[in-house]
Amino acid sequence: MAEEEEGKEYRWETGYEKTWEAIQEDDEGLLEGSVAEIIQRAKRKRQAERHGNTRLGMMRHLFLVIDNSDCMSNQDLKPTRQLCTIKLLEGFIDEFFDQNPISQMGIIITKSKRAEKISELAGNPRKHIKAVQQLTQVACSGEPSLQNALELALRSLRMLPSHASREILILMGSLTTCDPGDISVTVQNLKAQGVRCSVIALAAEVHICHKLCRETGGLFGVILDDCHFRDQLFQHIDPPPAATFLDSSLIKMGFPHHLMQEGKEASLTMCMCHVDSTDGEGGRLNSGGYFCPQCCSKYCELPVECKACGLTLVSAPHLARSYHHLFPVDNFKELEFRDMQDKIELCFACQKRFGEHDKHVYECGTCSRIFCLECDMFIHDLLHTCPGCATNHSTSQSMSNDSVPPR
Amino acid sequence: MNEEVETSLLVIVLDTNPAQRLLRERTHNLTQCLESVIAFANSHLMLKSANRLAMLACHSRSTEFLFPPPPAAFGTQAAMLRQVDGQYELFTHVEKTIRQSLQQLLMRDTKSEPVGSACESLLAGALAMALCYIHRLEQDLSSGRNMNSRILVVTGSADSASQYMSYMNVFFTAQKQNVTLDVCSMEQDMSLLQQGCDITGGLYLRIPQLQGLLQYLLWVFLPEPPIRKKLVLPPPVKVDYRAACFCHRELIDIGFVCSVCLSIFCKFSPICTTCHTVFRSPGPLPIKPKKRKIKLN
Repeated sequence: MAEEEEGKEYRWETGYEKTWEAIQEDDEGLLEGSVAEIIQRAKRKRQAERHGNTRLGMMRHLFLVIDNSDCMSNQDLKPTRQLCTIKLLEGFIDEFFDQNPISQMGIIITKSKRAEKISELAGNPRKHIKAVQQLTQVACSGEPSLQNALELALRSLRMLPSHASREILILMGSLTTCDPGDISVTVQNLKAQGVRCSVIALAAEVHICHKLCRETGGLFGVILDDCHFRDQLFQHIDPPPAATFLDSSLIKMGFPHHLMQEGKEASLTMCMCHVDSTDGEGGRLNSGGYFCPQCCSKYCELPVECKACGLTLVSAPHLARSYHHLFPVDNFKELEFRDMQDKIELCFACQKRFGEHDKHVYECGTCSRIFCLECDMFIHDLLHTCPGCATNHSTSQSMSNDSVPPR
Repeated sequence: MNEEVETSLLVIVLDTNPAQRLLRERTHNLTQCLESVIAFANSHLMLKSANRLAMLACHSRSTEFLFPPPPAAFGTQAAMLRQVDGQYELFTHVEKTIRQSLQQLLMRDTKSEPVGSACESLLAGALAMALCYIHRLEQDLSSGRNMNSRILVVTGSADSASQYMSYMNVFFTAQKQNVTLDVCSMEQDMSLLQQGCDITGGLYLRIPQLQGLLQYLLWVFLPEPPIRKKLVLPPPVKVDYRAACFCHRELIDIGFVCSVCLSIFCKFSPICTTCHTVFRSPGPLPIKPKKRKIKLN
């Protein structure tokens, strides 16, 4: 949780007095509650900083670099750091493709002073999850090499069109790195190519990682425990603000619809996504699927990039999934329940009666309805629509004027 | 029997907007619909003692909970109901509460100024409120118990394009929370709600005759989602997921998507009409220098 202020204070400047007082035990003597509170406060701060008007990089190409060196068999995260990371990554990959359906991801591991790509840049989450799950078989050995991993990622990211947002996320468990050359040259290359690198360190802050993030405009974090690790990891699911030199262009996309051929002339064909599959699963013959409008190749699921003609195929709901990033719900104002006690008894959305344990209630700035803490988190994290604004004619008119006209 | 009894939560969203064609024609239609829906709700509660119910009325000006009743409306009235006609107390309670809450809602609405005559029902907002309620109930569930939830929308309104964003947000949230969305449409085909049913795995039905509303509700919408796999219910409607371009509102096969705001156009234009970004027009393709063949003389 390092803050990137330039005026960072050092111990001798008495900037770090009694830092242990930030973490306090709750009534039963456990520390979990206070770490959860720190996470909660950081989440609210992040939400408060988000605006609706910054341009976001929606078509993301993210490379995940996973450290597979010796120190990942350390048992400070249960059962080992490697297994804990793999478990969290499965959830991360699912959520990433859910929130960014038109993005692509690739996975690189680094160990024994080398870097290896275990999954190519692709938009299919299942392939990546399988590759990550197979990592449990791979033994952790040697030292990681940050420069080799970055060079390997850069080689693929260099080829991408200019409107795509290029990112690298590094999960670093070791405090050392073994590089063949000068890593500052690599950092300068990354900066010139516009690649945004972020690092999540599992052990402690390492100066070169922090410098890498600062130069390229990424986020740097050090984890406290596994819940905090999950929180830091999931921070990268939201699209980052677009770099200023990201070109905006019109991307040609196809919108195939599902066709089923009925009757006697129905031909059984195989889809292009599974035509190369060596294992038995997935390659089934059927008579329906999505046909590319340009070259008529068949695919069984969307979104996909057509192998024959290179056209990106999506369906309208996939694009709609990303709209809420562009039109987020404004933050609610936090009020003390004691002040509102005589006016309001129930939360507007879930009808929960407010009690003594509700210290704060939340008010929407547009429709002035009051919500409880659970509904506030639910609305901002999952629902992305304020029920008060959506059930009121005057506010819903202004909502629809701002947002994109639909089909 | 050690099997855990799974609770089934049903949330009914009833569209009571007086601007609907059905209600403008004949106001008695509302009484008929309400009676069918109450009978359906009581049938749901009769299936299992663990089943739970909630009901929302989506009115012209606001959306309110009819059941469980908002406590402010009843003050400190103790819920001591005497048996009427030998009916099970819970059913009497449900019926009386819903009728009273709806009556109060309608009376409150007539006192305030009328909104324009042609105003649409804000169903997306009502669905959002239902999802918040379901979320709270799932949090309050004691550990070890399961609950499956579904929302049933009974409406006679037409499709509303201005609520697209809210609808899509609600559908994706319902999909993630494993909430099934069923729609019973009494008037016309609603393509947005059809998409919602398809996304969440629910049923969409358009009723040809209003008199048979209770029959259709009991046949199609009464079984809970885990049981539906074993029954033969009306087949899902084929939903067309092609996008409509923003300039002509026509369905297109190949379109151009702005990388900043994700708006869809059918042909190339130098400026995006939604976010006003200027696009770089595609320049001439780079000409590859021709390879000279080496003469072998």
